[in-house]
Amino acid sequence: MKDEEWSSLATARVRALIIAAAASAALTALIYLGSRRLEHYDAALFGYTVASVIAFGAIIFRYAIWLRRPATRRYWLRGWQLFLDRKNLGRNLRSIVGTAFGNLVAQRFILRRSRTRWLMHALIMWGCIISAAITFPLVFGWIHFELEGARAYRAYLFGFPTVAVDGRSIVGWVIFHALDFTAIMVIAGCAIAIHRRLRDRGAIAMQQFALDFAPHLLLIAVSVSGLMLTVSSLWLGGYMYSFIALAHQALVIMTLFYLPFGKFFHIVQRPASIGVELYQNRGREMAQARCARCGAEFVAQAWLDDLKGVVRELGFDYRLKSGRTLQDYCPRCKRVMRGLAYAALAQRSGHD
Amino acid sequence: MFIDPRRCIGCRACVSACRECGTHKGHSMIFVDYLDRGHTTATMPTICMHCVEPTCALVCPADAIKVSEDGVVMTAMEPRCLDCRNCVNACPFGVPKYNTAMHLQMKCDLCFDRTAEGLKPMCASVCPTGALTYGRYEEIVPRRRGVRPVNVHVFGRQRVATRVYLMLPIEEDDLCVDETAEPSFRESWLDAQVENADKRNEF
Ligand code: SF4
Ligand code: SF4
Repeated sequence: MKDEEWSSLATARVRALIIAAAASAALTALIYLGSRRLEHYDAALFGYTVASVIAFGAIIFRYAIWLRRPATRRYWLRGWQLFLDRKNLGRNLRSIVGTAFGNLVAQRFILRRSRTRWLMHALIMWGCIISAAITFPLVFGWIHFELEGARAYRAYLFGFPTVAVDGRSIVGWVIFHALDFTAIMVIAGCAIAIHRRLRDRGAIAMQQFALDFAPHLLLIAVSVSGLMLTVSSLWLGGYMYSFIALAHQALVIMTLFYLPFGKFFHIVQRPASIGVELYQNRGREMAQARCARCGAEFVAQAWLDDLKGVVRELGFDYRLKSGRTLQDYCPRCKRVMRGLAYAALAQRSGHD
Repeated sequence: MFIDPRRCIGCRACVSACRECGTHKGHSMIFVDYLDRGHTTATMPTICMHCVEPTCALVCPADAIKVSEDGVVMTAMEPRCLDCRNCVNACPFGVPKYNTAMHLQMKCDLCFDRTAEGLKPMCASVCPTGALTYGRYEEIVPRRRGVRPVNVHVFGRQRVATRVYLMLPIEEDDLCVDETAEPSFRESWLDAQVENADKRNEF
C-alpha cells in the first residue's frame, strides 16, 4: 500500500472511531435518562449494559468503515438523495414500505431460495428479535415491573405506568415466559440450519467453521443456558442458578461482540436493500441506457453512470478507443466482443 | 482451468452440466454465445475467469464476493448480497447473473464443491472436445501443440490478469478487446431473437 493510502485509511479509522464513541456515549445517556437517572436500573445487569454499549459502538464503527467502500458510499448517498426528493414522496414511501415488508419482514426472497431455509431463518430471526426487544429495555431500565396488589404486575415504560397484567393469568404466564418460547424458536431454527450444513453438498463445500457454525452454536448455547435458568428456578429450587446465570451472561456478551463480524453483520447491513430497491424502482422510470452494440435497454442510464464512476474510483480504466467504456455494453455483448476479438486472432494466424 | 474456444462446437453440454452443480442448483452459470450467426458458426464459451483483482468483488457494495485461498472468486454470500447488479454490469467478461425474486447474484465458482474434493468442474468433465479443460498447467500445456495459454486480457486501457487460461495462437501474449465494427445486419436481427433477460444476465 502507498503512503497516502495508509494515511487516508488511518484518518478514516479515526473518524469511524469518533462516530462510534459518540454513538456509545449517546446510548449511555439514553440508558441514564430512560431509567430515570438509574432509579429503575438493576445493578446486577451492569455487565450486560457495559457489553451492550461497547458492542453498539463496535457495530457503528464497522458500519462507518463499510460505508467507506466506494460502491456502498454511492448507494448510500443516492438512496438518501432519492428519498429526500419531495416530488416523489408518496411513491418513495410506498417503495420503502414495500421493501421493508417484503424483504425484511416477510422475507419472500428467502422463501424463493428454499422453504426450509425460510422457516429456519424466520425462527432464528423472530426468536432473536423478540428476545432482544424484551431484554434490552429491561437491562437498560427502560421497562420495569412493580407488584400491584396481590398478584398483578404493572409495567412501567421509561418510568411511566402502562398496563397491569395478572401474574397468574395465561397472558401473564406467556409474557413472563416469552424468553423461553423465543429460546425454543432459536434452538429449532439453528437445528435446521446445522442439519442442512451437515448434509447439503453445496453448503459443505462453501462453509467455514468460524463463519457458519460458530454463530449457530453460540445462539444455541445462549438459548439453552437461558432455558436452564428457568428450569433451575422453577423445578430445581435455584440449583446452580448463579453459575448458570454467569455462563449465560458470558455467552450473551460473546454473541454481542460477534455482531460486527462475519455472519451476524448482515443483520445491520441488510436494511440497505431498502435504498438499493428504491434506486431500482426509481431507475425504472428514468432514461434507460441502451447497449452501445445491440441497442437493448439494459439498465437505467443514471445508475450506469454511477457504476462507471465507482469502477473508475477503484482504479480501473475500461475506456475503449472510441471513448466509450466497456460498461456501456450489455453483458452479452461484452462476451460476444471478446469472442470476436478471439476469432479475429485465430483467423489472422491461419487457424479456423 | 483452460479454455480453447476454437475447439468449441456449440453443443451446450456444459450449459446443461453446469445446472447440476451443487452450489447453484438448477441454474446454469456458463454461457455459450454465437458470435455472428450470419457469417460463422463459431461459438464462445464463457465462464468466470477468476480475475486476480476481481472487478466484481471490488464494486460490490455489500462486500459479498470473496476470493478463496486458491484464488477462486466465489458466488455472492447469500446473507449479504443485495441484488444491486453492480457486479453483473461491471465484470468485463459479462459473467455474473442475478435473480430478482431470490435477491441473489450467482456466478461460476469453478464448481467449488467438486474442485475442493479434487474433481473436475461439471463443464470440463462433459466437454467432448476439450474446449474446457481442467487440470494442472504442467499436465495440460505439453499436450496442446500450436496454442499458447495466456491469462491476460486487455479491455481498452485496462489489463486484466486471470487465473483461468485462454488458449491463443502461439505468437500472441494477450487478448485485446476493443470496439469492433457494428454488428452486421443479419446478426442484429438474430440478436433481437435472444431473450432480453439473456442480455441482462437475469436467470
Ligand atoms: S471474470 Fe467477472 S465475475 Fe469472474 S472474477 Fe473476473 S470480474 Fe469477477
Ligand atoms: S448483486 Fe450482490 S454480489 Fe453483486 S455487487 Fe450487488 S450486492 Fe454484491
